[in-house]
Amino acid sequence: MFQVPKNAIYNSISRRKFLELGGGAATALGTGSLAVGLNSMIMRTPVQAASSQEAKMKQYAGSKLVFMSENTPPSFAIRDKIKDFYDATGITVEVLTDDLPVVYQKVGIDVKGGKADFPVFYSQDKPIGAALADYCVDFTKFIKDDTLPQDPDGYGADVWFDNFLDACGSMYEKGKIVALPYDAAVACTFYRQDLFEKYSKDFEKDYKYRMEFTAKTTWKNVLDYATFFKKLKQAGQDVPYGYGQHLGTFAWTTQLDIQRLMYSHGQWQDFNIDDVLGSKTPGPTNWGDATSVEMMKQFKAMSDVSHPDNLANGTLELNSVYQAGQIAMQVQYHEFAASVEDEKTSKASGGKTAYAPCPLGEASWIKNGGKAVNGTNCGIGGIAINKNASEDIQRAAFIFATHAVSKKLQYSVLSGLGGTPTRKSVLAEPDVVAARKRPTKMPNALTFEAVYDFGIKAPNFVLGPKIPEVNEYHKILAAELSKCVAGKQSPEEACNAIKKQTDNANDI
Amino acid sequence: MTQNISPAPEGAVRYVDGAKVLDYLPQVFNVKPSSSYYFWLMAPALIVLAAISIYPFFWLIWMSLHNVGSSAGDTFVGLKNFEKLLTDDKFWIGWGLLFKYSAFCMFFEIAIGVLLAVILNGHRFENILVTVFLMPMMMAPAIAGLVWYYLFNSTFGWYHWLLQSLGILGETSIIGSTDTAMAALIIVDIWQWTPLITLITLAGMKRVPRDQLEANMVDGASAFRNFVAITLPNIYPFLLIGIMLRFMDNFRFIDVILALTGGGPAESTKVLPVYLFDVSFVFFKLGRGAAIALTLLIVTIILCKLLVRVFEGPASKRTDMGS
Repeated sequence: MFQVPKNAIYNSISRRKFLELGGGAATALGTGSLAVGLNSMIMRTPVQAASSQEAKMKQYAGSKLVFMSENTPPSFAIRDKIKDFYDATGITVEVLTDDLPVVYQKVGIDVKGGKADFPVFYSQDKPIGAALADYCVDFTKFIKDDTLPQDPDGYGADVWFDNFLDACGSMYEKGKIVALPYDAAVACTFYRQDLFEKYSKDFEKDYKYRMEFTAKTTWKNVLDYATFFKKLKQAGQDVPYGYGQHLGTFAWTTQLDIQRLMYSHGQWQDFNIDDVLGSKTPGPTNWGDATSVEMMKQFKAMSDVSHPDNLANGTLELNSVYQAGQIAMQVQYHEFAASVEDEKTSKASGGKTAYAPCPLGEASWIKNGGKAVNGTNCGIGGIAINKNASEDIQRAAFIFATHAVSKKLQYSVLSGLGGTPTRKSVLAEPDVVAARKRPTKMPNALTFEAVYDFGIKAPNFVLGPKIPEVNEYHKILAAELSKCVAGKQSPEEACNAIKKQTDNANDI
Repeated sequence: MTQNISPAPEGAVRYVDGAKVLDYLPQVFNVKPSSSYYFWLMAPALIVLAAISIYPFFWLIWMSLHNVGSSAGDTFVGLKNFEKLLTDDKFWIGWGLLFKYSAFCMFFEIAIGVLLAVILNGHRFENILVTVFLMPMMMAPAIAGLVWYYLFNSTFGWYHWLLQSLGILGETSIIGSTDTAMAALIIVDIWQWTPLITLITLAGMKRVPRDQLEANMVDGASAFRNFVAITLPNIYPFLLIGIMLRFMDNFRFIDVILALTGGGPAESTKVLPVYLFDVSFVFFKLGRGAAIALTLLIVTIILCKLLVRVFEGPASKRTDMGS
């Protein structure tokens, strides 16, 4: 059938030879696909400082990176527009997304195992950044490298919103940047303006002041509002509950929830450490002191008048409760405004919701002599590079990281998917300025005044606690706080239990 | 009559009572293989087993004696990880919750599973009904957890709405209260795994000797007496398998719990395996996690041995009576 050369090694292929060849090919293919599929791959064309920008961008053309990220809008936007990055650099990036706890677990196993299956990963400031900072590359060495393409706006603290670079980039050592700000979730108050207007007079009759939300609205006022709504509900009126808390399964958001209350009252902090840098040796926690006990009492009081399914509602569920019209107020992250304003899924859309800063501390509740502030906290998601990766993979990852935090991409996420920018320059775009007022095509922009113009500014913003055992601390706090809310222990007992376990976790 | 069999002088030829016999197979195949021959036959399986089971087991012991995963490298700490467990309240509470969870699951699954098997055995729609009942088992536990999470949710959960409408629940969802969250987990476990007990029991009931049942009935025994005296002793070994499987599953399955409650609210459902997960993959204290895992393994083995002994008693008595 086929022409066989006279000098052919095999004139015909025996069954044995066929099996040998087939086996060999299968082994080679299997090994090859494993190597390509599981790991990043690097190809390099050397460049010099004088090389063109295009040459610097293309120096790792043919390489492959794996980016492990949280399932949030910026990650989806990057994935959707990954071809742009490939066209510009020739680098293939596989974007894997998952829930934040899963991202942390996968990345943690990878980096602590000395591997670099995820050479570039999402580093949420405290749950991932503070816990895994030792495994992240210092960006400063690449920022100074003139053989790498650099963002024209640069990476200094002034190009990001106040404190954002510190929030995710500064960990334990001054001068190091372990992540660049990629995604932001900053707390502010979402409240039902329509209900506030409707019941304002009734409220004023009982409480002798107006029911409204401004930067001067205190936690005591919020407690009054929530109590008022609960009384109406108990009287049989068709009204939502006043308030809801973040007490579901994700311990970190529970810690953030009580942190806002505590920081508002005398800027109380969990440890006596530098709020920006954090500390690997935090020393004894401040839990158990008079302020913490008082705040725990107030948190419990707030819980008693809040939505009855508080203990099952984490951040996402709480937002669903608000969308369903079951609560009139929530302190929520500004990235959720897009979902609240979605008319298809939210009863709170269409101008019913207004946005305000986080509540101010109530002077009479302060026990430590500090001042009352609008305690605001955040989750600043950074993009970090795995220290275990080779130098070339790290450099290629840097090129991708700068793309991921570029103004162009952030603007595109904000306008397309409802993201939350970290670069100041995005807010200067004329259509973003216009979007800050209704009607808007970028609902998250409705929160910008409360967040970017007020909440993240000193003295309101709190970044910590950044400690290596942060995840264990969050779990301890959430568990004992929930027991207090459930009536299983008193506020004093809860604070003492948090202190005992936290100090134990920190080897005190 | 005794046969005088002489060994074949050579090859496959031998003599039986003076008659020449040619064996069908050459004699070489009748030679007992050496022990190394069996070893090499088993070697591939042993290597696979060692790689996936024995090596990790010894690695687990090694980890339990070390501080693992710190950036400074792994350091030997002796029995410190075990010592810490002794004063760790969450460890002991985790054990308590695990026993409570397992005991309730097993009790209801055995009771309902056996009852269903009795009802289904010989039923005219047995095959169809068994297939329908088996459906929950086909669902991945993590998916089952998510499905039930949505059903129980107080904002949009259909079951919550139903239970609330019936006056069984208030506005707080079953997974939002420390008093009821464990019940939610048990309900899901019963829903998913009772069919396994039903299936195993049904298989056992097919093996019950009909003559014993008929003889007992002739003696005037009622259906219930027949079940207790004949059926139950005959299905003991099958029930033992079912109980052992479920018991071990309860001690290691955390998918549903993580999806449904995450160990909350207020740690009311933080059974030991969930705490083990937290310690190992949230706190990344792999040494302490390994110590917890080892205690879990040892207790599981001891309890399995006890279970076997408990069930062997009636089973051997039955065998004695039979002989």
